[in-house]
Amino acid sequence: MTTPPVDIPDADRRAPLPALASIAAVAGFQLARLLTPPRLALAAIGIVFPTAVLAAAVNGIGTSIEPRLGIPMLYLLIPEMVCMLGLLVTMSPLVADELERGTWVHVAVRPGGRRGLLLGTWLAAVIWSGAVALAALALAILSDCIEGGARVAGTFAVLILLSCMGRAALFALPAVIVPKRALVASVGVALVIEYLAGLIPAVVNQFTVSLRLRTLLVAWTGLRRDIPAEFQLLVDINRPWYQVSAVLVLTAVFLAIAWAILEWRQFPPSDES
Amino acid sequence: MISLRGVTKLYGTVIGVNDVSVDLGAGAYGLLGPNGAGKTTFLGLVTGQLRPSMGKVRVFGERPFFNPRVLRRIGLCPASDITERAMSARDWVRYLVRLSGFTPAAAALRADRTLEQVGLGEAARRPLSTLSKGMRQRAKLAGAIAHDPDLLVLDEPFDGLDPVARHELVSLVRRWARSRSLLVASHLLHEVEALDAGLAVILGGRLVASGTVEEVRRLIDTLPSEVRVVCDAPRRLAEMACASPEADAVRFVGTDTFVVDTRAPVALAERIGAAASAEGILVRELVPGDRSLEGIFGRLVQIHRGEAS
Repeated sequence: MTTPPVDIPDADRRAPLPALASIAAVAGFQLARLLTPPRLALAAIGIVFPTAVLAAAVNGIGTSIEPRLGIPMLYLLIPEMVCMLGLLVTMSPLVADELERGTWVHVAVRPGGRRGLLLGTWLAAVIWSGAVALAALALAILSDCIEGGARVAGTFAVLILLSCMGRAALFALPAVIVPKRALVASVGVALVIEYLAGLIPAVVNQFTVSLRLRTLLVAWTGLRRDIPAEFQLLVDINRPWYQVSAVLVLTAVFLAIAWAILEWRQFPPSDES
Repeated sequence: MISLRGVTKLYGTVIGVNDVSVDLGAGAYGLLGPNGAGKTTFLGLVTGQLRPSMGKVRVFGERPFFNPRVLRRIGLCPASDITERAMSARDWVRYLVRLSGFTPAAAALRADRTLEQVGLGEAARRPLSTLSKGMRQRAKLAGAIAHDPDLLVLDEPFDGLDPVARHELVSLVRRWARSRSLLVASHLLHEVEALDAGLAVILGGRLVASGTVEEVRRLIDTLPSEVRVVCDAPRRLAEMACASPEADAVRFVGTDTFVVDTRAPVALAERIGAAASAEGILVRELVPGDRSLEGIFGRLVQIHRGEAS
């Protein structure tokens, strides 16, 4: 004999995966917060700026930029600069914003609220920065400034996604360790870890997202053979799947560390506005 | 329900709460103390926002910090105002309910039902920026109770409210507290009295008194105090004051002032005033001792430390 199903009133229905439900709730909330005129203006600048730079270069040389130069330029402008700036403004205020707005306590008192805040904000940062970067990529390709730019669109879309995922997770660390100085600390992390340590051909650069992205760029766009021998040290020798896995592992590790810190952190009442 | 054993919370070298031990069973309680007394720290410990530096905190028999089982049963209405002004009350409450693990549909139902309960049904879709302070307080309350907690914790819920809004909120909270447990922090005794709650008095991070409102009132009424009188015939008036049963001792300060120690300063001041009027004595000052809450707290902490009887 089967037991009749228990009739749960609609208002009592709990999400089957409460952790995912709170992450989705926070992500939606954070994205709604980003829809303000200043943030939208910033996003518009992020979308237009790479094309403006490429157009200026085209204007200077009088013809489309050849791929050997255009692809690295596009890489520096979009997966590096646009993604990085987008993530700085969306991920760095992870905790500071909540403390300043007085919403931290509302979130932290919910079961899984801190985890939801971290992962939901990470997701919102990836969606927002990724969308801006993809729009910038689309505009740059449509502008036809780079010869055969459309052929690398797929590659760049993946690089943008990986850049946003890895770096949003990286910026979560200063955001939870030094919430009130998170933006400055994140810029420091970007410069010291991603750009300084990432360019040192030693074990230390294995822990950076930038090494993986550069390696994927040269592997997928065929630029590896064009790189001078002395610059070969700036990319990894392992295959692309290894690089993608490395970014995913780094993302998971950074987020796990940030989560552990955030769960353990206490903010005295004086820290809240 | 709530048990603190030798709990101390330090922020670096600053003491938040100091060696607090208290057991609060199911029911309604007011945590009374002046600003900076440690009330919010106490609530932070109970709601799992803070870890004690020393001692043990148990809520529903479990450690509340980093404990979803306990957090699920707590609703917190903090002192700070909601700053998400562009958002509607409905969206705000739905967001909080979703964070408690409900489906979006359940969260919407609960948010609507609770906002209706707190009297914000019609204003639920308006941006929070267009609501009055009292309405925002009710929206905050809705956010704290919409997930059906067993314990509602309110931090200075009546601050900044006009009398009408205060009365409405008191009625709401009292109604809610009939079936659930309640812990309200306030620096105003009459607010806690209005909730028919038991009292715990906190000062300088120390729990200095606890019991029913009547017990704490009785304790306050028996606290030693004084009446200071400045007049043109201090010895004659002091003689009359000494004859009254409320006077414990008299001392002279200068040539025109005397101070009477008493446990009933208001009654004694009235008696001295009447005597001065009957005898035609010019009284320039007649000041009953400090019966403000801060003054009373000061005396309570002196008693607690053994510095006064």
